[in-house]
Amino acid sequence: MTGARAALDLTAGAIFRVLIGAAVLFLVIPVVVSFFLSFDDRSFLGAFPPTHFSLRWYRSFFDNPAYLDGLVNSLEIAAFATVISTVAGAAAAYALSASRFPGRDALETLFLSPKFVPTVVVGFSMLGFASAIGVFDPFTRLIMGHVIITIPFTVRATLAALVGIRRSVVEAAISLGAPPWRAFLDVTLPLARTGVVAGALMAFVLSFDEVAVSLFLADAFTQTLPIALVAEMRANLNLTVAAVSTIFAAGTIVVVLFLDRAVGLDRVVGQGMYRG
Amino acid sequence: MASQRISSFHAALLAPGALIILFLLIAPIALMAVESFHPFVTGRVGSGSGWTLRNYAELMEPAYAFYFWETFRIGFIISAIAVLLGAPLAWLAARTRRRGLRVAMFGLLIGLLFMSLIARLYAIQMTFGSTGPLAFFGTMIGVPARSAGFAVVQVAMGLLHFVLPMVALILVGTFQNINPRLEEAAASLGAPRWRVALTVTLPLAVPGLLSAYMIALAMCISSFVVPLILGRGIVLFATNLMYVRFSDVANYPSGAAIGMIMFALAAIIIYAMMRLTRALSPVESHS
Repeated sequence: MTGARAALDLTAGAIFRVLIGAAVLFLVIPVVVSFFLSFDDRSFLGAFPPTHFSLRWYRSFFDNPAYLDGLVNSLEIAAFATVISTVAGAAAAYALSASRFPGRDALETLFLSPKFVPTVVVGFSMLGFASAIGVFDPFTRLIMGHVIITIPFTVRATLAALVGIRRSVVEAAISLGAPPWRAFLDVTLPLARTGVVAGALMAFVLSFDEVAVSLFLADAFTQTLPIALVAEMRANLNLTVAAVSTIFAAGTIVVVLFLDRAVGLDRVVGQGMYRG
Repeated sequence: MASQRISSFHAALLAPGALIILFLLIAPIALMAVESFHPFVTGRVGSGSGWTLRNYAELMEPAYAFYFWETFRIGFIISAIAVLLGAPLAWLAARTRRRGLRVAMFGLLIGLLFMSLIARLYAIQMTFGSTGPLAFFGTMIGVPARSAGFAVVQVAMGLLHFVLPMVALILVGTFQNINPRLEEAAASLGAPRWRVALTVTLPLAVPGLLSAYMIALAMCISSFVVPLILGRGIVLFATNLMYVRFSDVANYPSGAAIGMIMFALAAIIIYAMMRLTRALSPVESHS
């Protein structure tokens, strides 16, 4: 009896480990492969692993004006969109968490709703709307599109951080004579900082990597880096994209380390109600 | 302090965000809804005058309905796989006592969430494609990397890479909110571990598993980049069809009709998810 029981337990445990192993390998292996290929010295796509290494694909990225223009455009658009959606999103999240009025929950859902609208729909409808109101500048259109796709993330991250702030701290400040805006600046904002920073980072990365919205709103002269990359990948598969991917991955590691130092990855995910 | 009326200070804070939602989301979609009922005039940018249901009727034809079917078929399967793989991952991250392991897992999942999707899709193509080190995977499952059918496999893997980190992170929250003492109690009463997992943990996790599944489904069916890059032109989702209608044929009203259907489908899935989670979530348990 105990033998059968132990065998079942072992089998279940083995299945469990196999699933975890498969998931981790599936997530990690492609990134590692692309990392090694980005240093491949061959001019063609050869068998893995590469035998000679060089930085030729990194050079070819920095020698390509289409990529560099795209990079500059992407950085500018992401910066504008992040600032706008972080300021508007954090302010809205604060007001939502601090007040209770009829329709408050509906309003919160509305602020989070762009997340669930397919990005092609956002891009497509924004293009029609922009031309209807006479906005033909691609740069402005792109910022409009990127603000709407990023705002749910800044609202969400700030709301999550504010839930942890005890209302009584803010009320104490107000009862000591601070006007509400003062309490907001001196008490709530510093405490909500982690959420605001996490939301802003999310917004920047999301905007920087966006394809669907940008494809509708860009034009032949104003391209973003992702659009240039996608065009390259569909035309001829070469390893320049692997080099860019590796640069992106390095950037991601920096962001994650920063988040861990600044906030703690445990806290980014949250600990649930049965821990800490 | 929490007043029933909104103070002017709070209203002022809400205003910019509300205006953004109103002008950059609601107004464009309303305009698109109107466009979708206008007739298409060949050779003309924009739409003709008058009203018609033709743009929608056209999509019911088998040739177009196929795109929607294909989109959903792949979405249903991949979301299920994502929950199946994501749940053990999340359980381990939520329950392990080793802080290093937990932080490493969070780092991996959050890192992937932050990492460029384009870069990840490219990496999948490099790894599983015909020259990649794991090209044998396609041969193993009977769809060699060089065959046309591999496009579907590649899109499926791209979608899985896209949704799995998100699903796992959602489920971390689910498992964290299941009181570990319930599992400990069952174990101390003599239940073997597989039994605890099946009869205690799993039932309590059902609402979380369902909502993770539906979020994955919503992400899959509205994905545009994955089929664009990995579909080799063979696998097209409804989203890609929408772009083609717009960019190649300049049929704006037809694109708008597809957009309205995509919008409605995403809204239905999310609404159903919210209702289900609310109906299934257990009454606040006290430890």
